[in-house]
Amino acid sequence: MGLALPLPLSLAASQQEPRFEVRKPRGLDFMHVNSPTPQKYLIETMGGGVALFDYNNDGLLDIFLVNSGHLANPMHAPETFDRRDPKNWNRLYRQNADGSFTDVTKEAGLADAGDGNYGIGVAVGDYDNDGFADLYVTSYGKNVLYHNNGDGTFTDVTAKAGVASGGWSSSAGFFDYDNDGRLDLFVTRYMLWDTQHSKICGQEWQTYCPPAEFPQTTNILYRNRGDGTFEDVSQHSGIGTIKGRSLGVSFADYDGDGYTDVFVANDGMRQFLFRNNGNGTFTECALEAGAGLTADGKPISGMGTVFQDYDNDGRPDILVTVLPREVYALFHNDGNGLFSYRSLQTGLGLLSAASSGWGVGLEDLDNDGWKDLFVAQSHVLDNVEAIDHMLHYKETPLLAVNRDGRFERADSGVTTAIAGRGVAFGDLNNDGWQDILVTTLGGEPLVLWNRGGAGHWLTISLHGTRSNRDGIGARVMVNGQTRFATTSGSYVSASDKRLHFGLGAAETAKVEIYWPSGAHQTLDSVKANQFLEVKEPEK
Amino acid sequence: MIENFVFVALLLQAGPTPALQHLHAGVEADKAGQLDSAITEFQKAIDLDPKLAAAFVDLGEVFIEKHDYAAAVPPLKHALELNPKVDGAHQLLGYALLAQGYAAEAIPHLEKGGDESALGIALLDAGRLPEAVAVLQKALAKSPDDPDLLYYYGRAAGLLSKDAFDTLESRFPDSARAHQMMAEDYAALREVPSAEREFNEALRLRPQTAGLHMDFGYLYGRAQQWDKAEEQFRLETELQPGNAEAMYRLGEAEIQLGKFHEARVALSRSDQLKHDMPETLYMLGKAANLDGDDALAQKSWMHLLTLENNTSLAGQAHFGLAGIYRKQGKTAEAEKEMELFRKLQSNASQTDESPK
Repeated sequence: MGLALPLPLSLAASQQEPRFEVRKPRGLDFMHVNSPTPQKYLIETMGGGVALFDYNNDGLLDIFLVNSGHLANPMHAPETFDRRDPKNWNRLYRQNADGSFTDVTKEAGLADAGDGNYGIGVAVGDYDNDGFADLYVTSYGKNVLYHNNGDGTFTDVTAKAGVASGGWSSSAGFFDYDNDGRLDLFVTRYMLWDTQHSKICGQEWQTYCPPAEFPQTTNILYRNRGDGTFEDVSQHSGIGTIKGRSLGVSFADYDGDGYTDVFVANDGMRQFLFRNNGNGTFTECALEAGAGLTADGKPISGMGTVFQDYDNDGRPDILVTVLPREVYALFHNDGNGLFSYRSLQTGLGLLSAASSGWGVGLEDLDNDGWKDLFVAQSHVLDNVEAIDHMLHYKETPLLAVNRDGRFERADSGVTTAIAGRGVAFGDLNNDGWQDILVTTLGGEPLVLWNRGGAGHWLTISLHGTRSNRDGIGARVMVNGQTRFATTSGSYVSASDKRLHFGLGAAETAKVEIYWPSGAHQTLDSVKANQFLEVKEPEK
Repeated sequence: MIENFVFVALLLQAGPTPALQHLHAGVEADKAGQLDSAITEFQKAIDLDPKLAAAFVDLGEVFIEKHDYAAAVPPLKHALELNPKVDGAHQLLGYALLAQGYAAEAIPHLEKGGDESALGIALLDAGRLPEAVAVLQKALAKSPDDPDLLYYYGRAAGLLSKDAFDTLESRFPDSARAHQMMAEDYAALREVPSAEREFNEALRLRPQTAGLHMDFGYLYGRAQQWDKAEEQFRLETELQPGNAEAMYRLGEAEIQLGKFHEARVALSRSDQLKHDMPETLYMLGKAANLDGDDALAQKSWMHLLTLENNTSLAGQAHFGLAGIYRKQGKTAEAEKEMELFRKLQSNASQTDESPK
């Protein structure tokens, strides 16, 4: 693990704020359908994942949006959600060379989401190392693994792969927990709930029930056997031996032992930190590590999460989005396997105490060498304002620039309050500046185009050879900054796999890559402002 | 009934008359729970001796026991006509009248009867709020665990308060205090913009009002607007540098804003102004811990634990101490504190569930 490195003066001098333009690109006509009913089915308020990924390897990011489905008032068994109706389809939008998008859902083979599946989220990973990104869609119902055939089409391989899960899945993510070069799959599940055992809470105002009204459940870990099938190792690995109410998941090697660890955001209870023991098992150690509760020993309503290094000390930190009157939890990685609660030191007390956060990311949005914070916001209760005048259902997203490890509010460019849910990050127009896509519950997604500025940048694509194909799980250091290669984190969403670094005024960069295989690679004097592909040394 | 029973016994010693024999039989029937027989016996006693006040009192009391309050009133009134000093008659008549809603009529009888609880309720029902509060307070001092009394006392105090505020609003609508009152009403309803408007107006009219900035800051704190809360609490501490709560609130807001050093100063001052307040000690420990002064944090939390050791605040102190020991590499001590922390979570809900 690296020690805290002073930022070069050339970076520190850059104090501009990121600038965003909210503009719907031509062809992106998605409308999320969540079908709110007087029954206050909890699933209504939880959906809306998004993935930014390049499914056809043309160098342009494409957009996959998860739809939810139709809910009857009331629902009857067996549950169906009219997913065959095109307005309830998930959608894949291919980006064209002119920046417009074309809906290719049907020809890509993604129109059938399964009539019994109310869509929630999406994960992206190349599980078969064929160079084409695959999709895993989570649902209340069954999850679906779509194999990318490499010709613009996908095939539902769920049954063969054995990853349907069941119940209510939320965020999921691909990672290689055993460093065998194949991506495994982690699936969070929220609670034991179904429409036939739903409840309505509240007195004068009928509301969604808090999670404690329903039993906890387990998360699932699938090990990739390498033959197109997965083995459920939840029990053997220890992941499935503890129950929670999990909504978010993020990955990083927090203790520097070369094995990827897992952080799980739980709603209304303590959080989980699964330390990878390196032998196929995990130990849940959030409380002992100081990442399970607030500084006051209080549980939080964890929803979205990100596991990246916000203060450039080389160690991945954890950020969790929560409900108002809590504060977005920032667990600083102190080294030695310990975390400390730093929400108040970093300014989050002022920025987030009245807000509800969902999708989240730590991304350098102004290319100054510090990762900024972006959060999609909105309360979970659509009638919260009638119940508590101090709270708001719809909110504008939070954009907070990182000034030497302290966050300060900035203008996200979104002027209208929205019911934000999922967020994915990526450079949509390949201009070297990270763009953002935010989903809204029951509404259209927002695309926030980064208008750029003066800072230099470097975007790295990893090409694993001994490691998994995309180098997921690699630790990449550039000019004193560190990123952990992942498409996961946020809330029910998946971001661009490319690793983006802002360089400020620096025109060259030193790049160090610690591959999951154990290989260490250094590149000196790399020119700024380029998309760099780095291939893992063969041996 | 007991007093009357003694009265009957004394009369019987003097030689039982037929009327007294029926009176005695009525008392025995009443004691056996045979209320209708008791009524018959008391009626016979009255028929035989229409001047026997005790028989009228006992008859009234049995009607009260039967919840027939209207029937209780005439014999009790008649007993008092016969003998204004007859035992228990005033009190029973007061009950019977109060039970039927004749509070004003009941009051003089209850005053003579000496039952402060019933008198307080009658005064409350009659709208004589200041007297009701005073009488109920005396009654509560004698029976502090009586839920009925607590209820009536709270109600009387609340109505008295409302009464005063109504007067304030009607007679001095543009006064600083009227705006303060409106602000507090809006704050209770969580209507921040309206409360803000009224607080500002109250402050404009009388900027030096003690407590106004504190209430204003408290509103902002509840709305999670900690920067504004801090400003108000700071103004309050300038007005009232000796107010420990204002100092505490200021420190609390500064912690939320990440101003840990300033928070330590305010909380230390609060601790000096009012010693041994567990909340202040916890917050002081927290501010010190967040400011990197683990020694002061440890000292504050350990002091707190000498004051209380089985509350949620004590649990939080144990949790904080565990963090300090963990950082110091004192694993065994950290684990011990965590054990105590877990033990204080009376059920899993403290750790595994958040109260939403």
